[in-house]
Amino acid sequence: MRKKPVFVTLVLLIAVILGGCAGGPIRGTTWAGLAANDTTAYLADGSFVFAVNLNDGRQAWQYPAKANSKQLFYATPVFTPEGYVIIGSSGTDHILVAIDPNDINPETQSPAEAWTFTDAKDHWVAAPLIVGDKLFAANSDGNIYVLNLSDERSTKEAEQVIELGGRLWAQPITDGERVFVTSLDHSVVAIDAKTYEILWHEDLTSAIPGSAVIGADGMLYVGTLDSHFEKIDPATGEHETVLTTEGWLWGTPAVEGDNIFIADLTGELYSYNTSTGANNWPSIKPDGAVTASPLILPGYILFATESGRTEEDPGNLFAVSPEGKIMWNEEISGTKSGKIYTTPVLAGDLILVAPLGAEGYLYAYSLDGREASWSPFIPGK
Amino acid sequence: MNNTSNQTPALPAGMSTGFLKTLGIAALLVLVITRWNDFISVFANVLLWIYDLLGNGPHMFGIAIILFTILIRLVTWPLNAQQMKGAAAMQEMNNDKEWQAIQKKYAKDKEKLSQEQMRIYRERGINPFGSCLPTLIQFPIIIALYQSITRALASTPLDLLKLSRSIIFPFLDVSELIPLNSKFLWMNLGQPESVNVFGFALPTLAIIVALTTYIQSKLTLPPSTNPNDQSAAMGQSMAITMPLMLGWFALTFPSGLSVYFITSNLLGIVQYAAQGKANWRNLLPGGQKQQQKK
Repeated sequence: MRKKPVFVTLVLLIAVILGGCAGGPIRGTTWAGLAANDTTAYLADGSFVFAVNLNDGRQAWQYPAKANSKQLFYATPVFTPEGYVIIGSSGTDHILVAIDPNDINPETQSPAEAWTFTDAKDHWVAAPLIVGDKLFAANSDGNIYVLNLSDERSTKEAEQVIELGGRLWAQPITDGERVFVTSLDHSVVAIDAKTYEILWHEDLTSAIPGSAVIGADGMLYVGTLDSHFEKIDPATGEHETVLTTEGWLWGTPAVEGDNIFIADLTGELYSYNTSTGANNWPSIKPDGAVTASPLILPGYILFATESGRTEEDPGNLFAVSPEGKIMWNEEISGTKSGKIYTTPVLAGDLILVAPLGAEGYLYAYSLDGREASWSPFIPGK
Repeated sequence: MNNTSNQTPALPAGMSTGFLKTLGIAALLVLVITRWNDFISVFANVLLWIYDLLGNGPHMFGIAIILFTILIRLVTWPLNAQQMKGAAAMQEMNNDKEWQAIQKKYAKDKEKLSQEQMRIYRERGINPFGSCLPTLIQFPIIIALYQSITRALASTPLDLLKLSRSIIFPFLDVSELIPLNSKFLWMNLGQPESVNVFGFALPTLAIIVALTTYIQSKLTLPPSTNPNDQSAAMGQSMAITMPLMLGWFALTFPSGLSVYFITSNLLGIVQYAAQGKANWRNLLPGGQKQQQKK
């Protein structure tokens, strides 16, 4: 019978297709998390977190030493005052770990774990927030886990679990007294940073994948997936729509003085003035969709687009002047071009970009848009 | 000698419709593969639409998967029926005395055996692909369902972005539906399932998936009286490997896929039983051997 080989081949094929992600290093299930100081970039990209020396683009270390099928890293790394790097796993182990870059194992070239937290029930997408010696860690299970950073425990336990529900994908923000949390379940919540009491809980009618920002007027501003840009009173939670955009608002807005810059999934860029309550200039649309937050740089605002005019085109960086004029743009180059979803980061005098699907993991550009000599960073090269 | 030069070469009697069906299924498969992303989008939209109709509350996405599975079984009912019919015809042939005699006679002449096999197919109107091609349709459906569940549940930002671009039903306001409530009974449909029993993570769904797959495979194995019946041997082998494979999938992938597997298996058992084709004796230890003796 000829059916048997055909059937067995199909079974193997389906096993390969469905099980394509099992085993070996994984990359590309979503976009990377990127953070940096003046000398080192930290890139959470799939099975590993990479530390990249920004002087020469070489890998300083990777964590873990070997790929672990239970771990995936995409949440943006966060630095503690002691110099630890906190990273959350989007894998099945749901671990939040602080690694010590000053304690590198000479054999594996991987840093030691300073502490771990394993009580979360779902994966980590949001970067945690440090307020004094407390860590407010927002998990996809809908809880905020408050950890004490100064208790010197190697296995952390939550000092408080604040149950908010929904899925928490955005880093909480603080004004020093309150912690503000946005959620995919359409809500914005204010929590007392000391007592952990929920001060108010407001429904905004649609999911909020990005964080809120605090404008120069002291009000909270946040974008929603139903294309509303909302202004919220941080004291009461009262809110109003100040701008309706063409497409879904994904990334966290960026603030510079009275101006707030946002971009939507149709690729429209906006500049909203909090003192006049109006747009500074009519929105512009350089090319593709924008999920990354704008980056405020000296003399211009950097917008990163997912792709060009067509989906096949690579992502672009656009330097836009405060008056809304495009000053320069740079395409992600290389034999295999990528799409930009991750918010670019300024490190010293370098702009760092972590595209998805590109040959390189990390690209570096000068402030006038020229690619650095060592760029891109590719692990093992 | 027959003069056939002026005649259009005719398909063997009884195989023409089967051949056309085979071609149709193959064309459908090619269409699905080339338009894969659209195929996934349709699945995701139907799932979300059912979820929306159900009121998008707790447990509703699990019920949406069950209803969607029922819908798929209804749509693919004719294919399943054809598969059963094809399998029964093949089994009937395997148990046929004439065929068994031919197998013995031409055991050492594979070419002649193959010619005789084709002759019998023609004479009896059997499509040799009639039982295996409908099975082919199941594979893209399983993969598409897996991808549409993960896309609809959107457990990563990239999945959510893809979902936002998958909406083809204009009446679906996905920005309001997000995030989907992934809780169903004790499960998180976006995660592999296990129940903590005395500190041990027991994968209950994987066990149920493997068990129901085994029962369905056993029930659908037709009785064989031919000890040299390779298809019966293959059936026995698949009755072991399929439950293990699907059990492994259930262990590894989001539990929403397990809900699909279990529902699909139970519906398959019901379908076979309703048509009077379920072979309950196969579930008993040694049931197959007893039937071979008879």
